[in-house]
Amino acid sequence: MMNSPIKKPYKYLKWQNLLIISTLLFLLISALPNLYVDKVNFQLSPINTSVPKITTIELKSLFDNYNLSVDEILTSKEKTTITLNNKTDKIIVNRLLSDEYKNNYRIENSVINNLPSWLVSLNAKPIKLGLDLSGGVLFVLEVDTKQALFDRLNNIALEIKTIAMEDRIRGVTVIQNNGNKQVDETSQNLSVKFPTKVKSKVDALFTQIKENYPDLTQKNDNSNQVTLSYPSKITAQFRQETMKQTLKTMRGRIEELGITEAVTLQQGKNHIRIELPGVHDPEEAKRIIGATATLDFYQLAENSKAAGILRMTDENGRKLSLNSKVVFSGSNIKNARAGQDKMSMPLVNLTLDAIGGKKMSQFSKKNIGNTMVTVFSEFYRDAENEMIKKSKVINVATIQQHLGSQFSITNMQSQQAAQELSLLLRAGSLTAPVTIVKQRTIEATLGVDNINNGIKALSVGIGITLLFMVFWYRSLGVIANVALTLNLMSLLGLMSLLPGAVLTLPGIAGLVLTVGMAVDTNVLIFERIKEELKRGHKVLHAIEQGYKSAFSTILDANITTMITGIILYTIGNGPVKGFALILCLGILTSMFTGVFISKILTNIVIRKNKTQLLGVNV
Amino acid sequence: MNSIKLNKYLNLSHFRIASFYCAAIFVVIALFGLFSKNLALGLDFTGGYLTEFSTEKSINQKQMTDLLTSYLPEGFKVTSADGGTHWSVQQADNMYSLKDKEWLADFALHSELTITPQDAIYIGSQVGEELINQGGLALLTAIIVILMYLSFRFEWRLAAGAVIALFHDVLIVLGLFAWFGITFDLTILASLLAIIGYSLNDSIIVGDKIREIMKTNSEAKIDTIINQAIKSTLVRTMITSGTTLATIMAIWIFAGESLAGFSIALLTGVLVGTFSSIAISATVPQLLGLTADYYDKKEEDICQLP
Repeated sequence: MMNSPIKKPYKYLKWQNLLIISTLLFLLISALPNLYVDKVNFQLSPINTSVPKITTIELKSLFDNYNLSVDEILTSKEKTTITLNNKTDKIIVNRLLSDEYKNNYRIENSVINNLPSWLVSLNAKPIKLGLDLSGGVLFVLEVDTKQALFDRLNNIALEIKTIAMEDRIRGVTVIQNNGNKQVDETSQNLSVKFPTKVKSKVDALFTQIKENYPDLTQKNDNSNQVTLSYPSKITAQFRQETMKQTLKTMRGRIEELGITEAVTLQQGKNHIRIELPGVHDPEEAKRIIGATATLDFYQLAENSKAAGILRMTDENGRKLSLNSKVVFSGSNIKNARAGQDKMSMPLVNLTLDAIGGKKMSQFSKKNIGNTMVTVFSEFYRDAENEMIKKSKVINVATIQQHLGSQFSITNMQSQQAAQELSLLLRAGSLTAPVTIVKQRTIEATLGVDNINNGIKALSVGIGITLLFMVFWYRSLGVIANVALTLNLMSLLGLMSLLPGAVLTLPGIAGLVLTVGMAVDTNVLIFERIKEELKRGHKVLHAIEQGYKSAFSTILDANITTMITGIILYTIGNGPVKGFALILCLGILTSMFTGVFISKILTNIVIRKNKTQLLGVNV
Repeated sequence: MNSIKLNKYLNLSHFRIASFYCAAIFVVIALFGLFSKNLALGLDFTGGYLTEFSTEKSINQKQMTDLLTSYLPEGFKVTSADGGTHWSVQQADNMYSLKDKEWLADFALHSELTITPQDAIYIGSQVGEELINQGGLALLTAIIVILMYLSFRFEWRLAAGAVIALFHDVLIVLGLFAWFGITFDLTILASLLAIIGYSLNDSIIVGDKIREIMKTNSEAKIDTIINQAIKSTLVRTMITSGTTLATIMAIWIFAGESLAGFSIALLTGVLVGTFSSIAISATVPQLLGLTADYYDKKEEDICQLP
């Protein structure tokens, strides 16, 4: 190894150099947008010529009254322009201005970014900041657990009717909640009426039902009526389960949106509080989060013994009567991906879980040639705040063959519709309808002082590190520092590129730790070089050998940390995921800059065999 | 090798073995703290009470926090919305928090703000059982995969050393938080993850050096090899730990209270991690019976062609 002939070190393979430099440039350009800040622009234009003029002093005193800092106020004959540096003040300024000048002026506001146009055209975006640094959007969702219980009882009612029909028990009627729709969880029930003469058959039916639903309690009202209900302990348990499931689904959806540092928690009995950082389009977030999309698969009533009939029309206006008992529902869907068929028509590929696959297999085997209808349902609130279920038939297909756990829904309207549906189905379907009851913009939780202090601390920390490196390693230390700075910038660039990466204050501190790792990379290399020099090697040889043999150590150390990072990223969620992301990206960039970039730099700077390097005389 | 140097190595060996037992005692103390006192889990883990109110005039967050400090026990979290007119106060669900609305009425009366109380409800935790279970699973998987990777790259005894050192570091930091009752929140969890990375890094660099010396010098005693490895990586360990510690100190001093817990965790983590890379990850392989001619034997095994 040691006697191996060394190529002239500065002739580091050219195409490799090119690749490294272009990657670096790409990352640096991606980091550039972070230098520019978003500003909010307000424009006041008079409705007609006779309105009183606004003076700069007047505006200034108005803002000073409310402790608002304003970047710039420009007044001209046509309009007054106010520029704010702080995006969070937008709403309050807007309210203030409209209170004062609404009658005489037209008020418009826009978020502007003085990003140069070439950067805009590259679609470069600044990094997203977390809730602690820049606030975000707050949603409070209401989970209709009553409706979830109602649906569950409704299914039981259908099952009773189906069994009664299969066993030819005549005259059985099931009434849910005495015909009322909005009933409290604890008083929901099913009353089953039947003629006295079929009592023995009905008893068998109840035994079967109780086998399937062991938590149900049965109360015999009289000889021809039985009331089925859940004890309050079970309904409470059911509500908790529904909330848990909904929370899980919501976390899944937020993750699917690519936001790692969101806050999702239960609020009160049946509300969910969601705080989303860095959301620029609350409407889109609202659409995905608030959507209660569920898919249900039905068969036509004419092909089966139907205990209830659901009448719907498809988009062609064709009337369909469906058997109201679903074949299987969206909760059995394990995975969904948008795709295209051979004719490049958009479709959604579905994978069912074990239960769904079994149901589908049994059903399709029996029903080849029959029709299966896919119904998409959504809940929303109307103007009177009433929960409304909107269902539509999205697909009517003939079962061509025996289907398994994988099949697809064709006939999607557009690629975007296919993508959105697959996202919703993938993130998990909801067992209870969810509606948004509150939406607010929230301010940074840390406050400007804290953020400034944090940044100050980090600058001091990095400063000490850089100074030390120069002091200890002299010329090589300068190279290490350049590599370190480039490392930080590439990391910023990489994070700006990834839509899911959100920067929080602990995240920034994590960034500094990756600086520590990067320092380590350089120190390892330099110590190796020193060792080689002490062994009596020439400077250029020692540098080459130092980089080479330190590399395996660096690789081992970083791969192990990377393994931790990747596992934390895949298994953990929320903030753990965010931190793991920074950790992994930091390792990548520190290896990249610490090994490759600093080697190129070393080769550029040290081209001659010196007599002295790193305090070792050669 | 002259006698002075030999003596130095001997002292280092004594130091290592002594520190190893010291570390073991520390771990026991930490575990005792964890089981007897429990971690003071923060809002993120426990959930708590959320009180919402709005003010007529917009004020900034710092002012509001200062105002509230005299009415509420420590550890509350204030969030403002809608331009500083809508406020949410979160308090941990423990015996110290004032559960009822009384404080708000008191606050509304005594402060000069026009306050309209709104909701006061219980909120769940951000970190549900699910995340805790997942987190535990993640750590377990990570440790197993790391063990496998290191055993493949190094020797299983060196791998075990690194993983035991990792356990030691994390446990000590957790123990410290339990003993001093410092609130454990998500930020601290993040710093624990960083400590894991740091600790592994340190252990592997020493392990790598041990392997290297073992390959070139299989005649020497394992004790001497380990000491030699520690000595030759000492400068690197000092510089890396030193600069990282400097940064963490800067965060602690300048960043204020919001990152105090974070810097305490990292500071102890890095200190303990540096210590354990010498006292544990290098000593455990020796105690497990690693011999200096391991790589020689392995090469012989491979060379035995039929």
